[in-house]
Amino acid sequence: MSDNRRQVLDMLAAGQITVAEADRLIGAIEDGPPAAAATALAERRAAAPRYLRVIANVADEDEGPIKVNVRVPLQLLRAGVRLASLIPPQAQDEINTALRQHGVGLDLSQIKPENLDELIDHLGDLTVDVDGEPNLKVQVFCE
Amino acid sequence: MIPLAAVVAVRAGWRSSNRRFWIPVPLFLVWLLALPFVVLALPIFVIACPASRVDPFRALQVLWQLLCALRKTHVSVEHREASILVHIF
Repeated sequence: MSDNRRQVLDMLAAGQITVAEADRLIGAIEDGPPAAAATALAERRAAAPRYLRVIANVADEDEGPIKVNVRVPLQLLRAGVRLASLIPPQAQDEINTALRQHGVGLDLSQIKPENLDELIDHLGDLTVDVDGEPNLKVQVFCE
Repeated sequence: MIPLAAVVAVRAGWRSSNRRFWIPVPLFLVWLLALPFVVLALPIFVIACPASRVDPFRALQVLWQLLCALRKTHVSVEHREASILVHIF
């Protein structure tokens, strides 16, 4: 097994890339010259987001400024999803029912680490800016 | 690898001129202290997991991953009266 292929598999095992990306990278390793594949791998590794950042600023004249800055490793989210997958089916059903009663149509059994990887891939290109109440600004992005 | 240290910084007020108190938290000592309790609780955990239809080994693996993933977590909240920062190394 070549070093590049092993690197791709290591990244897949560590949850840094999705199965589709690993497939594409391995395809590039097989098809393209070794240098091009190594470059693609290095670029992908450098571009992969590692943290979810949430920044909230409230400029309240009475209370003073409130700043919240949270950086959560995406691995923690992945581990959390894996932990959620350990919930017994009976408990999942109860949770889903309770969520539906509160107007949240979320099925816990459908949340899988692969889905999270897709979400993270899309979050990498996305910045969510929320300007809700006056003087409130919230930013959510991956870095 | 699980986080071995963390730091908590507390400051009275949000102005940068105010003194910030840095409190190092040696997490490895916490893990060492918790180890005997974990060993004692392990048989109960292994018995309780099948009772609730959870694979105990997978549960342990996921809990370990969760602990490992805590590294480089950073939380900072600043307010007029106080500010707090938590960083896990």
